Amino acid sequence: MRSHILSTILLAASSLTLSAQGLCPTIADRCEKHITSQYIPDGQFYRALLQGDEVAEFGMTLFGGATYRLAACSGDSDGLLLFSVYDRDRNLLFTNKEHSAAPYWDLVVANTLEATVEAYLDPSRAGSGCAVLLAGFKK
Amino acid sequence: MASSIQLRPALLLGTVLLLAACGGTDTSTQDAVADTTQVAEDAEGTRIVQLGGRNFSVPSPVQAAYAIRSAGLKYNSALLAEGSRSGAMTDRSKRSLFLGMLGADMAYVTVHGDGQKALVTLQTMERIAAELELSNAFDRALVERFKANLGSEDSLLRFGGAAFRAADEYLQENDRMDISAHVLAGGWLESMHLTLSDPAAANNKALMSRVGEQRRSLEDLITLIGSLPDEGQNVDLLTGLKDLQVIFADITSTYTYEAPVTESSKRTTYINSKSEVVITPEQYTRIATRVKELRSKILA
Repeated sequence: MRSHILSTILLAASSLTLSAQGLCPTIADRCEKHITSQYIPDGQFYRALLQGDEVAEFGMTLFGGATYRLAACSGDSDGLLLFSVYDRDRNLLFTNKEHSAAPYWDLVVANTLEATVEAYLDPSRAGSGCAVLLAGFKK
Repeated sequence: MASSIQLRPALLLGTVLLLAACGGTDTSTQDAVADTTQVAEDAEGTRIVQLGGRNFSVPSPVQAAYAIRSAGLKYNSALLAEGSRSGAMTDRSKRSLFLGMLGADMAYVTVHGDGQKALVTLQTMERIAAELELSNAFDRALVERFKANLGSEDSLLRFGGAAFRAADEYLQENDRMDISAHVLAGGWLESMHLTLSDPAAANNKALMSRVGEQRRSLEDLITLIGSLPDEGQNVDLLTGLKDLQVIFADITSTYTYEAPVTESSKRTTYINSKSEVVITPEQYTRIATRVKELRSKILA
């Protein structure tokens, strides 16, 4: 009996996990529209399931002379995901928190730098969800 | 120093039970479950989550192709992986690396306007992708779209980037991170090969810097490949990358922060920080040699 209950709970847990993971592609499809035809997708997919105050982060080298577009999406509408870009010394280069949680932003890079992008859910609008970050660039 | 922790099953179950009891609390509570994503905690107690099991981005091969063209290096189709391959590939990791290489080749031939090579490369990609069960991203429809846009460099590059992103997404959603990692590594290695194979590159300061700027990507790739389950298939790759890391460790770089300028109306930030990478001709030659050796092993 006990093992039956445990199996049921585990099944429910894995079903919900799969359900949450299954939502990421839908969010990615919506987010992709922000990487407009002027930009070439970087060919990579960044996603994380976030809860509460968890922060998703990734490092990227931004090459001098290029313009990058970063798009950040979660849930079923824009503005749920806050994202910030830091340099290697942790200087803040940009945050969409100061720009009405804009779902995308362009970075014009003069000289190559190693950056860290951090994303987290707007606590006033979402307690959890799939965070998707996409990047594109142009010459 | 961040310490790595895993989300525990108890937390998972607790979350599920809480959700079941509450019936949802906000627009996205249906997402509110943990997966097996790595979570770490930094010094300030912030929980850091890796994106899709990795926490970095590898530079797009398209950017390397643009840099090669901007440097004025001569286009050379003999450098492509398809022509260098000496045997059939039965190993999944080698096929994945090869697919990444083909992606870099595709970018190279496209920015140099070789539509015919682009089409041949795409057809090989389609076949390898099918062998890796990635036909969702590289299918007949993509080939047809390519054919219809052979005269448009931008369209071809966009299609390629979108196809690799779709493949990456599919691989992550289906827990096939080993293939995703090998595709990234193959693309990076081939981009390095295409950049370094022309001796004239050594005389181009911008290209020399671009090579030196790959240090972080190399380190990230080593971490990624090193984290994969391994039954011996990654030994050559990891050894080769680590050999390169030794050379890169001696390359000097400087970075000076300068305040960025943001134009809200354009949704644009101008990042004005200064940086410089100094790479000696000897370091350049050693990197080129190691890249050539590693690539040959993979294609053997």
